[in-house]
Amino acid sequence: MAVREEVVAEHTAAGAPIRQSSLWRDAWRRYLRNRGAVLAAAVFVLLVLYCLIAPIASPYDPYEVDFSQAYQTPSWAHPLGSDQFGRDLLTRTALGGRISIGIGFGATIAILLIGVAYGAISGFVGGKLDDALMRFLDALYGLPYLPFAILTLAIFGTVNFWTMVVALSVASWFTAARIVRGQIITLKENDYVRAARAVGARWHRILLRHLLPNTLGVLIIAIFLELPGVILGEAFLSFIGLGINPPNASWGSMAQDGYQAYRVHPHIIVIPSVAIATLILCANFIADGLRDALDPRTRET
Amino acid sequence: MALLEVKNLHTHFFTREGVVRAVDGVDFELERGRTLGIVGESGCGKSVTALSIMGLIPKPPAKIVEGQVLFEGRDLTELDEGELEDVRGRHIAMIFQDPMTSLNPTLKIGTQLTETLRRHLGMSKDAARKRAIELLEEVHIPNAAARLDDYPHRYSGGMRQRVMIAGAIACNPKLLIADEPSTALDVTVQARILDLLEELRKAHDMAMILITHDMGVVAEAADEVAVMYAGQLVERAGVQDLFDRPEHPYTEALLGALPHVDEEHVRESRLTTIPGRPPNLVDPPEACRFGPRCPYASLNDSCTQVEPQLRELRKGHWVRSAHPASERAGVPAEVGA
Amino acid sequence: MTKFVVRRLVWTIPVVLLVILLTFTMMKQIGGNPFRQTERAVPASIQRNLERKFGLDKPWYVQYAQYVRNVFTFDLGPSMVLRGRSVNAIVKEQFPRSIQLGGLAMLFALVVGVPLGAVAALKQNSTADYSAMVVSNVGFAVPSFLVATLLIYFVSLKWGLLPTSGWATWRHKILPPIALGLGPMAYFARLARGSMLETLQQDYVRTARAKGLRWRRVVVVHVLRNSLIPVVTAAGPFLGFLITGSFIIETIFAIPGIGRYYVVSVQARDLSVTMGLTVILALIIVVANLIVDILYGLLDPRTREARA
Repeated sequence: MAVREEVVAEHTAAGAPIRQSSLWRDAWRRYLRNRGAVLAAAVFVLLVLYCLIAPIASPYDPYEVDFSQAYQTPSWAHPLGSDQFGRDLLTRTALGGRISIGIGFGATIAILLIGVAYGAISGFVGGKLDDALMRFLDALYGLPYLPFAILTLAIFGTVNFWTMVVALSVASWFTAARIVRGQIITLKENDYVRAARAVGARWHRILLRHLLPNTLGVLIIAIFLELPGVILGEAFLSFIGLGINPPNASWGSMAQDGYQAYRVHPHIIVIPSVAIATLILCANFIADGLRDALDPRTRET
Repeated sequence: MALLEVKNLHTHFFTREGVVRAVDGVDFELERGRTLGIVGESGCGKSVTALSIMGLIPKPPAKIVEGQVLFEGRDLTELDEGELEDVRGRHIAMIFQDPMTSLNPTLKIGTQLTETLRRHLGMSKDAARKRAIELLEEVHIPNAAARLDDYPHRYSGGMRQRVMIAGAIACNPKLLIADEPSTALDVTVQARILDLLEELRKAHDMAMILITHDMGVVAEAADEVAVMYAGQLVERAGVQDLFDRPEHPYTEALLGALPHVDEEHVRESRLTTIPGRPPNLVDPPEACRFGPRCPYASLNDSCTQVEPQLRELRKGHWVRSAHPASERAGVPAEVGA
Repeated sequence: MTKFVVRRLVWTIPVVLLVILLTFTMMKQIGGNPFRQTERAVPASIQRNLERKFGLDKPWYVQYAQYVRNVFTFDLGPSMVLRGRSVNAIVKEQFPRSIQLGGLAMLFALVVGVPLGAVAALKQNSTADYSAMVVSNVGFAVPSFLVATLLIYFVSLKWGLLPTSGWATWRHKILPPIALGLGPMAYFARLARGSMLETLQQDYVRTARAKGLRWRRVVVVHVLRNSLIPVVTAAGPFLGFLITGSFIIETIFAIPGIGRYYVVSVQARDLSVTMGLTVILALIIVVANLIVDILYGLLDPRTREARA
């Protein structure tokens, strides 16, 4: 270990006995000290709230077609302009955000659930089963992500919120499984788990009470690590015309609408793209902040 | 003129959590061909002292804020990086605690030895290779010529430390700094590494700074001893004098001479438990650093108000304490305080 | 080293078989074969004939075995929709363009990203570091369709510097790789920076400095090589991703590559083409991962021996 960490670790928070509650409090305190991460979290929450509230609060109906208002440039009436059907883009963006963010979180949670189940079994049981499962995972890394998402959609034959969630998670849970397995294996070697085993705790108790709760930190970080990929995946699929059906919209399908008109009205593709970029940027900063907060040893100053 | 003179050295780490005063007052001299042992608990600033001499402290966050490191009369803290590079490995060499991580895993042992020779002595590739074989033989690695082309993971921990030592003595440095050279090794290997160091020190007429937390190692290898506590040098003396008549209460504790230390630990003559913990170096005690743990501290108010200075109690025996053993006559220790 | 490569090569066989099986199973699930889906009613006898021609009347395992044999003899069968065209012909024609696009994007990502990250790490917390990290954070977050559109809008339409679409001359081959490679470039920059910072903290770097080596040599010989290991590891999946994931860029720049055709084949339910392309894409990823593993072995002697 580098001298710097040694010196700092020994004279600051050094060796304090760790209780769960104080661990989380410390993490929270460390997170708040990271200004970038706090700002990112604030923007993230505001964006989500905006997407939830705006379609209700807006004076415009996000679905109503009014060709007299088509392709408006930004103005006081339409701060972000309007699209080819004369729908207010500020309101449409919120609507698209609901679906993009909803699918994003849905698929991320699905990825983590599959990943936790697979990784926990592999890491906890160990031995030959672990070997086999990991070999299988290695092989799955050969799957092309977007083609498999497309194939999954083709199997369902229809695109809606839930089929999209399945399609996006089916070929992207491998990394999550690896992370969970690694964490479980590390934890299994810990003295307190050995102690629990020595006093004869049942296996499900060890797994549920000692191992899984301690992967929580990694999983919270993983949510924000997986989210950008899933959001982008949904946007890509929608952009090539395999997304949510109109008149519903996601940011990806709005970008596709904008792409059709970009030579004359370039702002229409920029708006949903910036929304996507903002969300991803925030997710990255939140993930970094969480990693620093939950695992101080890997911190880069 | 002494080979190395460290004067009032202060190295601080400027971190988000505050200023860590890792080294905060270290003074010593080292003559040519002599061995100085620096002892203390982990985190007391031994390693940072060594790295400060080498100019290897991580900058930022660390900075030498005060003091001098005079090597052959030249102040190393004044040199720029290029000049320091000419000194390191050539005149002062250093080996580290963990041989498992101190060698580059992706380069052959031969490359790691010859690069020093080529850098400082301007040797040709062939000449450097020949010399590298001699060096490996000198540190008793069998079949040296063949092993030059192995990667470090083929070497055991003890062997790797030998390679580190071979690299350190490659340019016949005048000073070798060994930072806990045997701590990370098997007990059986430890003694052999220390013997090897002593053998090479004599053969190459080097001075050595041996950093350790093991009083036993010091007793065997050092001519002089410096004891560090919480970033400060608290006692310095010839090895015989220090073991016979320790003055600082902390040294006494280290030697197991305090009244409340049980018999078993005395016999081991290594670090023993002292009540309390070393102070936090972000916000250390204002006066005596050892005060909060010192059994004599409450007797005198000066301990909590005035920072004791390093003073020469008798010829060659320096101590930083208001209550050195020889001035304590008639004052009973508060046993178990 | 040879032993290691051979071992690694042998391991790709079950991987390929598994990938083909998965693709095959998924294709079976899609069901709707093109001969049943046509709106014009096809007489039952003709339909059966067609199904026999494509082997769709045999049990699944026979079809699978048949397909595996075809893949290993590089015969992906005829297209089910485009009469008279074989999947092989489609692949042969479109594939080189996609490979070129992906390769150029990868080149751009590495050649710009790694030095950017390295400089940022060596000048940690300087203005250069912060600017590099802003570039990389934004580059990572912006979707490629926006990058592509903006590049065309400004560079091609407004300034008239480069063509808007096609894949004929070198002038066509500048914007698409940049649009495709920007995200990975940003990722490599971050990865290289993090990896460099970590390597700079390693004990062996301190040893190298303690030996008095010139800083330049410490960086080049001791830091860079070791920092590249994680970059190379990450580059494998990205290479596959860049070649297979160029659907959008190929569409926007109207490049007749494999990605663009893939979407068309799925929408047209051209099962043999979809399946052939999926298998090819999977093979590319497997090969990319193989290359990475071998590179990894070259960079790190420990894995070389551990896995051999």
